[in-house]
Amino acid sequence: MNKRLYTLILFVAVAFSLSAQNRTITGRVLDGDFNNEPLIGAAIRMEFNDKNHPAAGTVSDIDGNFSISVSSAVKGFYVTFVGYATQYVKVGDKSKYDVILRADSKVMDEVVVTGYQNIERRKLTASVSTVGISEEKVGTIKNIDQALAGQVAGLTTMASSGAPGAPVKIRIRGTASMNGTQDPLWVLDGIPLEGTDVPAMEELKDIDNIYQTSIAGINPADIENITVLKDAAATAIYGARAANGVIVITTKKGKQGKPQINLSAKLTVNPRLSIDRLNLLNSDEKVNLELDLLKTDYTYRENKGAVAQILSNLGETSAYKAGGWEALSPEAQNQINNLRTINTDWNDALFRTVLNQEYYLSLSGGTDKVNYYTSVGWYDEQGNVRGVENNRFNMTLKTDYRINKFLKLGASVYANQRKQDTYMTDYNSFTNPIYYSRIANPYQLIYDEYGNYVYDKNVEGRAETDLDFNIMEERENTSNERIDRSLMAIFDAQLRFNEYFKISTQAGLQYDGYKLDRYAGEDSYAMRYEKYDKRYNGETFLPKGGMHKVNQGHTSQWTWKTLAEYKQTYRKHHDFEVMLGAELRRIKSETNYTLAYGYDPRTLTIQPVMFPTQKLAESNPLSSETFTENAYASFFATTSYTFKDRYTLGGSIRFDGSDVFGVAKEYRFLPLYSVSGLWRMKEEYWLKGVKPIDDLNLRISYGLQGNIDKNTSPYLVGKFNKLQILPDYLEDVIESESAPNPDLRWEKTQNINAGFDIAFLKRAISLTVDYYYRRSTDLIGMRMLPLETGFASTTINWASMENQGFEVGLATRNIYTPNFSWTTNINIGYNQNTVLQETVAENSTYPSREGYPVGAIFAYETAGLDEYGYPLYKTKDGRAVSAEEFFKLDKNGASQLSAAEQRELYTYMGSTDPLISGGFINNFEYKNWTLNVNFTFNFGAKVRVQPSYNSLYFDRGLNTNQDILNRWTSTNKDTYLPTLMTDDGIHNSEIRFYENYGSFNNLDIWVKKCNYMRCQSIRLGYNFEGDWLTKLGVRTASVSLEGRNLFVIAGDYTNYLDPETMGNPYATPLPKSVIFSLNVNF
Amino acid sequence: MKLQYITIALVALLFTSCNDFLDIRPTGKVIAETGEEYRALLTYVYDKVPEDRGMTTLRSDEMAADASTMSGYDYDSYYDIWNWTDYNRNPSALYFGWRRYYHTCYIANYIIEHQREITKATDAEIKQLVGESYMLRAYMHFLLVNLYAPAYTNCTPETTRGIPLQLKADVNAVLSCSSVADVYKQILNDIAVADEYMNVEKWEQGYNYRFSKDVVSAFRARVALYMGDWQLAFDEAEKVIEKYPALQDLVASTSTKPTNYKSVESIMALEQIITTSISSIGYVNPDLLSMYRTGDQRKSTYFKAKTLKQWVLRKEKDDYDNERCSFRSGEFYLIAAEAANELNDKNNALKYIKELMQKRYKATNYNTYSKALDAMDKDALREEIAAERQREMAYQGHRWFDLRRTTQPQITKVYTTADKTEETFVLEQADARYTLRFPTEAVEANPGLELWQ
Repeated sequence: MNKRLYTLILFVAVAFSLSAQNRTITGRVLDGDFNNEPLIGAAIRMEFNDKNHPAAGTVSDIDGNFSISVSSAVKGFYVTFVGYATQYVKVGDKSKYDVILRADSKVMDEVVVTGYQNIERRKLTASVSTVGISEEKVGTIKNIDQALAGQVAGLTTMASSGAPGAPVKIRIRGTASMNGTQDPLWVLDGIPLEGTDVPAMEELKDIDNIYQTSIAGINPADIENITVLKDAAATAIYGARAANGVIVITTKKGKQGKPQINLSAKLTVNPRLSIDRLNLLNSDEKVNLELDLLKTDYTYRENKGAVAQILSNLGETSAYKAGGWEALSPEAQNQINNLRTINTDWNDALFRTVLNQEYYLSLSGGTDKVNYYTSVGWYDEQGNVRGVENNRFNMTLKTDYRINKFLKLGASVYANQRKQDTYMTDYNSFTNPIYYSRIANPYQLIYDEYGNYVYDKNVEGRAETDLDFNIMEERENTSNERIDRSLMAIFDAQLRFNEYFKISTQAGLQYDGYKLDRYAGEDSYAMRYEKYDKRYNGETFLPKGGMHKVNQGHTSQWTWKTLAEYKQTYRKHHDFEVMLGAELRRIKSETNYTLAYGYDPRTLTIQPVMFPTQKLAESNPLSSETFTENAYASFFATTSYTFKDRYTLGGSIRFDGSDVFGVAKEYRFLPLYSVSGLWRMKEEYWLKGVKPIDDLNLRISYGLQGNIDKNTSPYLVGKFNKLQILPDYLEDVIESESAPNPDLRWEKTQNINAGFDIAFLKRAISLTVDYYYRRSTDLIGMRMLPLETGFASTTINWASMENQGFEVGLATRNIYTPNFSWTTNINIGYNQNTVLQETVAENSTYPSREGYPVGAIFAYETAGLDEYGYPLYKTKDGRAVSAEEFFKLDKNGASQLSAAEQRELYTYMGSTDPLISGGFINNFEYKNWTLNVNFTFNFGAKVRVQPSYNSLYFDRGLNTNQDILNRWTSTNKDTYLPTLMTDDGIHNSEIRFYENYGSFNNLDIWVKKCNYMRCQSIRLGYNFEGDWLTKLGVRTASVSLEGRNLFVIAGDYTNYLDPETMGNPYATPLPKSVIFSLNVNF
Repeated sequence: MKLQYITIALVALLFTSCNDFLDIRPTGKVIAETGEEYRALLTYVYDKVPEDRGMTTLRSDEMAADASTMSGYDYDSYYDIWNWTDYNRNPSALYFGWRRYYHTCYIANYIIEHQREITKATDAEIKQLVGESYMLRAYMHFLLVNLYAPAYTNCTPETTRGIPLQLKADVNAVLSCSSVADVYKQILNDIAVADEYMNVEKWEQGYNYRFSKDVVSAFRARVALYMGDWQLAFDEAEKVIEKYPALQDLVASTSTKPTNYKSVESIMALEQIITTSISSIGYVNPDLLSMYRTGDQRKSTYFKAKTLKQWVLRKEKDDYDNERCSFRSGEFYLIAAEAANELNDKNNALKYIKELMQKRYKATNYNTYSKALDAMDKDALREEIAAERQREMAYQGHRWFDLRRTTQPQITKVYTTADKTEETFVLEQADARYTLRFPTEAVEANPGLELWQ
């Protein structure tokens, strides 16, 4: 190797000294895309008539000038600059040449960044998609996870909530894991990020949604592009964590040239949510409903609702029941009629129209030795829900140094702080404002005539209302604040020995810290609840005053990887590349929780808690902490061989090791691998002549991915603790609450991908089609256990499933004239998920999903109602029978059927995952105007909604939608909605059944279609032009106006705000917004 | 070729050094290996033994309640238990335990199965652990069968559905019910095996929540009593009394309750006799209160007047944590007396009941009451012993089981609501509700659970 290097140096030196110096060529290289600013560092390479003439060349200086003395044999020269189309200039008699280079998007595309390697597109065997992040392309987004919606075929997004900063669920090519994470791996400039998993929807319902992933800290304005790695050939190099695909973020870099200052400002208006779509009862309807119900035998929570309370206060309940409205005193009638006149506007009380702001400033530039990029961003969002706020401040510093010919160094720092503010909404489900807006009675007052809070006596539901609740008081007197701070630093070094061999190393440090501060004042439901909960002999033992809970957490990880790459071309046609690498990673995370009572926010003082007994003190700890540490070590290699630029074969392998407690060491490493191939048909002589076709590639790959569940051990793993059974005798204990499973194996996914890329008519049409097949076996899942085992559930290898589908990406240039252009991008992903095998526990009464998608929804098929308004069920042979017959109920409402027979009773309704999803994007440009219209769509999904009401547990104290009015009654028989059930001597066993087994929710009437097309963005932009700009020192300036999520075209979603959040009554629906944006570049 | 070897060697080196890098012992997590760790496993499940015996007080005739004593939470959680509503229950009504019992069995079985792998412990320590595990398993099955299956003495045990027996630590097992007779057979069998393993006669105070050799006879006597096996009950009760003759002398002082784990009567002090949350739901049934005759020191030891009419459990500050009692001497005097009477051994019956009474009544009253006993025939004496038992064991989680195993009488409860209307509930004689239904969540998780022959 040394010899070769030496020869090379010698050769260059000789070449320079020997060249004949009889001509000087000077010139200037200018940036055609940037007001003809000088381009620094552009390479100028001479071409000579004489084939054996020694090479000659130079680079442009800080003003873009260059000068070179060459022999007269010069024919012309090439000017090249990274990211720009290379230009060839013929040398004539002139000695001075101005060369204007233009950015070339095709050239930019030629390298695909995988996070480990930069692969030339002509050698790319894998299925990847790259999305350039610019406002023109993805619109104005606040978080990068929003950027991907509808942009990449095969990637589906689902917003968990429209609350500020709420994470977006992303799935690449369907779901491949059940128990483990289903979220893709995010990689920032080569370093995989921690803390990117989105919690399950179920959890998001429970917590008060003040949660963000580490992705939320990245400013979209700092991002150059995002590459989505989809098949095994692309992801195998990432190992076990990549089973759900990889999203690689590449941030912006400084370009050589004069310093550039970029400033942008955005103003967003989010109009108030309208809850009209919920079709809630108004006061009149609600009062009538309560009056009606009081006359019936339906007694569930009979004392709830303002009507019942008025009657009870006046002692006229029995009079009303016996004689109806006429039997009431004028006083009672008046009071009840008065309710009808109150119509509290909960929409106005809880929601608002907001104006949000975002600013961004960056400074970038570079020379041939160094380039830099610095940016700061500030973003402030007010939620549509009053009292909810979110802001972000971030800063990015990136610098790359070229120390000498061999060594390149880089350092980047990304820092951000995010703050979310809301109030305590987790003390009971109804304290969530979105949910409360649906259940609060329209006649419920917020304040009385003196301005005091009026407490809602109905919402708590319990037999007696002990604790007062008023959502305004809650908003006023509690707070819930989360601050996230994160810092990421990446250092990298690249040592290039020669053109064949280089070693690079990269170290990344990620630190994420958060502090969740929750405060409840003394006068709040949260505090009253807390005091009620902490009682002894009927009296609370908490001191007077408020409560302050603080959760803090810190996660830090470091990743260090080293790669050696070797590449060489043998005999002109044989391209050979090998890469070997190792990666070490260690993560520590700790959390800390403290709880203080008697808290006074003005003085920051607390009061001690006098626990009456040791036991109570033990069960109400005032602080706790956790600490976990994990380590990973991996080794990997990739190789590729290309013949004649036509055929490429690639392969990669990775061993992932991690600390797994209680597992034999030999099982620590699992090999994951892939093989792949590419055939560039256009390079074949028989296609070269076919003019209309510009490009035709065939790709194929196969790979194995895997995962292991680290939480389940073959052994009985316990947690240390201390407790005392008899007073004063503290003992060590081992808590043994998780069931062991000695049979647990790795989860494996096989992955096949086949695709082609074609471009024709001068690339006016380019099409990418991929077919994939993913087969996952030994999937790990949670199984409910018979309680007699001593455990409620365990984790087992229980299933295998496949995902197969097509992805189509079509980009067309419909019209292209100097003044006007219209381009369209359509991407469609079709994913069919099938569970091949699923071990259903013997005791399960819910069917196996074998042969159905993983998101299968099963329900009991109903066949209308019987003559009393009770659901009838459709048997397999098409008869309509009662629940008693359908389920073979005994008098206690228990089914006499075996578990297997009960499973048979269900009918498959559809899947929660869309069959088809994608985006439809149109861009129009007319002179300085641009118009972008983006749609995203999801088709073929179903969703199980919460029943509008429960026939047994409909709580008349709460408001509900109009469905309750359309329930079956003796006067309203033409309906599909069941009656409110009361023991009538006929249906008692059915009632016991619905009561005990919750089957009411499993009726098919609560399964809805979820097809929709969302107008994600309509954006109109204008680029300013003219001399006045230059006079002001402005290079470019543009403004735009964008409407996001203006409308949704969807099937029936009556009674719901948005088809996307239909299944979650606690989620804030996605807000509509109008954004004005200004961009100036100096 | 050479390169290949170097590569292999290098990779091997990397992998081994990585194993050190990857050796992280998770903070706080453990797989039990040593004797101490196995003991810690067992201590945890000792602590988690449900306090259901105390909760049966609600179900029995010992507690009255009305809207003034029941808070909204109590009402939702306990009202249905108190008034025997097993169907159409309040959605937030509580259940008696189920999984917890079996989790305790699981750990007991785990220890039994892993006894040979326990390190850093003497043979005796290991044997004691295993013995206690057998005892604990037997005790769990005993509580379950008496909550969820008909009383042995009031059914045909061989053909009556009992409860599932968990005899192996196996998370994949789907168990079905054994007959009541088989459950009792297993319990007696486990006690016998435990007797062979255990070597600690009695745990010192502070650790006396654990099973020990001395508990064997006590437990066996109670099982025999519930089976109506009078001879066995008598023999075992006598053995207990022989070793633990001491009775708390309430005549001398009422400050220490017999149920205190420090009382001289304490044999084993695992369960709280009744938790505060349960005892505060209602007040002492006036019928029960009126059974305490003049001079009975227990009335003021156990209870105190809250209002003129309503008496509640007397709990001094000290009692909350200290009042733990699973077995105590007093019970065995009563068992010996009851069994002797059934065996027509009036002498012994009188002897044991009087010895107990002597420590409970003031001397003058004692003389009167004990004389009255002498004249009684077998039936009268049976009633009197039962009454004495009711007084002695009140609010200690025995009454419900005593009702079940004896006459299963009709019980009427009246609840006065806030607006002074009265709701009346009746548990008929030999009512099916003398046996609890399996909890719905247990049946949901194992639909075959309720099936029987």
